[in-house]
Amino acid sequence: MNALFEGFGALLSLQMLLCIAIGAGIGMLVGAFPGITATMAVALASAFTLTMDPLPGLAVLLTILIAAQFGDRVPAILINTPGTPASIATTFDGYAMAKQGKAGIALTASAFASAAGGFVGIGVLMVAAIPLSTLAMRFGSPEMFALVIFGLTMMVEVSGKQLVKGLIAGLFGLALGTIGRDPMDGSDRFTFGIPQLVEGVPFIAVIIGLFGIAEVFSQMISRTRGQQKPITSFGRWWPNKQENKQLIKPVAVGSAVGTVVGVLPAVGGDIGGIVAWNQAKRLSKQPEKFGKGSLEGLTAADSSSNAGVGGSVLTTLALGVPGDSVMAVMLGSMIIWGIQPGPGLFSSQPDLVYSIAGIMLVATVLALGLSLLRMRGVAKLLELPDRFLWTVILAFCVVGTYAVNNAIFDVGVMLLFGVLGLLLRRYGFPAGPIVLGLILGPLAERNFRRSMELGGLETIYTSPIAVGLIVLGVLAVAVPRIRARRKARRQEADDSDTPTDPPVPVEASR
Amino acid sequence: MLRLAALAVAGTLVVTGCANRGGSETASGANYPEKDLTLIVHAAAGGGSDLTARTLAKELESDLGRSIVVENRTGGGGRVGLTYLKDRPADGYSIGFIPVEVAMLGHQGADIKPDQYTILGQVMNAPATLSVPTNSPYQTLDDLLAAARKDPGTITVSNSGAGAIWEAATLALGEAAGVTFKPVPYDGGAPAVAAGVSGEVQAVMAGVSESAAAAGNNQLRILAVLAPERVSSLPDVPTGKEQGVDVVIGGWGLMGAPAGLPDEVKQRLAEAVNKAASSQAFKDVMTKAGNTPLATSPDEATQFTQSEYDRFGQIYG
Repeated sequence: MNALFEGFGALLSLQMLLCIAIGAGIGMLVGAFPGITATMAVALASAFTLTMDPLPGLAVLLTILIAAQFGDRVPAILINTPGTPASIATTFDGYAMAKQGKAGIALTASAFASAAGGFVGIGVLMVAAIPLSTLAMRFGSPEMFALVIFGLTMMVEVSGKQLVKGLIAGLFGLALGTIGRDPMDGSDRFTFGIPQLVEGVPFIAVIIGLFGIAEVFSQMISRTRGQQKPITSFGRWWPNKQENKQLIKPVAVGSAVGTVVGVLPAVGGDIGGIVAWNQAKRLSKQPEKFGKGSLEGLTAADSSSNAGVGGSVLTTLALGVPGDSVMAVMLGSMIIWGIQPGPGLFSSQPDLVYSIAGIMLVATVLALGLSLLRMRGVAKLLELPDRFLWTVILAFCVVGTYAVNNAIFDVGVMLLFGVLGLLLRRYGFPAGPIVLGLILGPLAERNFRRSMELGGLETIYTSPIAVGLIVLGVLAVAVPRIRARRKARRQEADDSDTPTDPPVPVEASR
Repeated sequence: MLRLAALAVAGTLVVTGCANRGGSETASGANYPEKDLTLIVHAAAGGGSDLTARTLAKELESDLGRSIVVENRTGGGGRVGLTYLKDRPADGYSIGFIPVEVAMLGHQGADIKPDQYTILGQVMNAPATLSVPTNSPYQTLDDLLAAARKDPGTITVSNSGAGAIWEAATLALGEAAGVTFKPVPYDGGAPAVAAGVSGEVQAVMAGVSESAAAAGNNQLRILAVLAPERVSSLPDVPTGKEQGVDVVIGGWGLMGAPAGLPDEVKQRLAEAVNKAASSQAFKDVMTKAGNTPLATSPDEATQFTQSEYDRFGQIYG
């Protein structure tokens, strides 16, 4: 209880509230700009917040992330372009609603659903903090190794349909992760005498290059940005009583799915939103409306991607493993601040955990308020001409990356990965697995080799947690594929044996 | 055209970033300092070394009557910052915080040696501590050493990372006591301590500040502090020497400048550093962080650094 008061009490200063307000402003803006992801905004901001104290710094970063996942709904609903990947599923029903002249309700319902999901995630973070901290202590090097392996299997899901290309990108990321000082014997590996590479490839520069710079380069070259006219008729702004009632179930489903997906390492709000949308569709009484302007689909997706933030933060704090790519950037900041997420944080600094939860609560309330107030204004910013947008993004990327280490070297790395990201995009390679490999590869190596030092392979196969996680990882990869193959075979059999059977309506409609 | 403009902005920023590296003036001792100073720190803003440097900078500013800009040049475990400092002009306007790594990196393949710097004085010590989990059977340093003697190379001792000072401290302690430990590197001081708390390793080698917190929570038992005498934050913990193992090792910090600093400038700066390091404000900050504040002369500090360089040569040799 004491830690709760101390943690929340730490927020009661002008500086903290100012930091949250600044973060909310930045987050709403970057969220509304397609192309600028929350990951990129947080990475950029982290270069500046590093000079601040940890708590105000965290307030800025967390608020940017949360507010970005409110702001990104606006372009998703109005111009069918997700502001950040977390609102991919928002476009499914949101844009359809806007086309039907119901953009007002869509925006309002989306904001409330996002806030509701956010609260559930934060609640789980606060309640599960205590049990997880005892569990967290059982996570030694062998268990961490297994957990990271489980995280690495997500490469398969992140790759989507381009499995082979995704895995090649992942291998490339893993290879990048071997650059730097050998974690066990201290000798240099693949550094070519460059001192900046001794501590590994600067991953913030890589992330900004692969996502931000690559996006700008790509837009400069192709100029294919969606030029659809924003919707001008918004219709009603507030949902009626009946619509409100309808929303309880999808928001509950979305929040639950989102929290679980968020807790899984290395998957973020984009996947959470899509999974929840799928799940809500299966459970809905009107599944046929999904994708054609269903308020249920919209709110399920939005509550889920924001519930995922709480889950991601929980995983990051309790296990020291990034809950998704944004948290990977934040994890880097925390380590530099001397906050060591992982076993021990919950027992040694429970007040910090509550402060973080408090920041997230205030940020969610503020972002909801801003969303309702500024929705129409934010929509206008999207009309900013490309040339200004690109210049600003480029300037920010260069300044931000330079500021991380005061190093031109990092800017070079960023530009190099910007070009690489552009090429990867052209040839259909996803960038996500590279970042996963770069961040998780060294973690896997260190914990594996440490386990070998501590007692060999025995330490891994005698740990129920480690074995369980590795089995889960294998199942996560194998089961969907086995199921798909069995289904295909059964369908084949059905087709030849009983050709007169009517097709299953739901399956057929897909 | 406008696409090019956007690219040009990026280019300009890169160029101006490079441009402010040039420009040095010959210092004339009498009027020194004529402009603001830059203090280079090898570690990130917000860490222990940064705090030491910034506290000193504040004191130095009031003495020298000029502003001091603290510049963090991080990376390579101190390599980037130390290389940057030694390549700066020796005019008294670039000074730096020099960590223990100056005596270690030269033995780990980097082109860094103590004689590449003008050393102005030592300002702090961060002694090593050896701890065990609270439920460990080992009650004293002797118990642990006896166990290591019985089964050489089986007692696991966590440290903050490969090549770091706490790994070297483990090797040095083993050498002094005639036993072999098994050092296990972690990804930083806090995880190394956490591994001791959870019992994944049998002992932890870490700085006073890191182990004192865990000992205060009754998560660790500190067996020895490897300092010349007991430290004020751990009055009940005996030194290694008291327990028959004469080894003094740990992190430390100097203030310095590139080699070849003009004599008058060196004198003026050394005076200022000594005064700053003797100030109550600096002492308070150091003690709070679990370190020992110091204020030695340039000669003493230079000699100390050279002896440390030779010693790490033996440890890594």
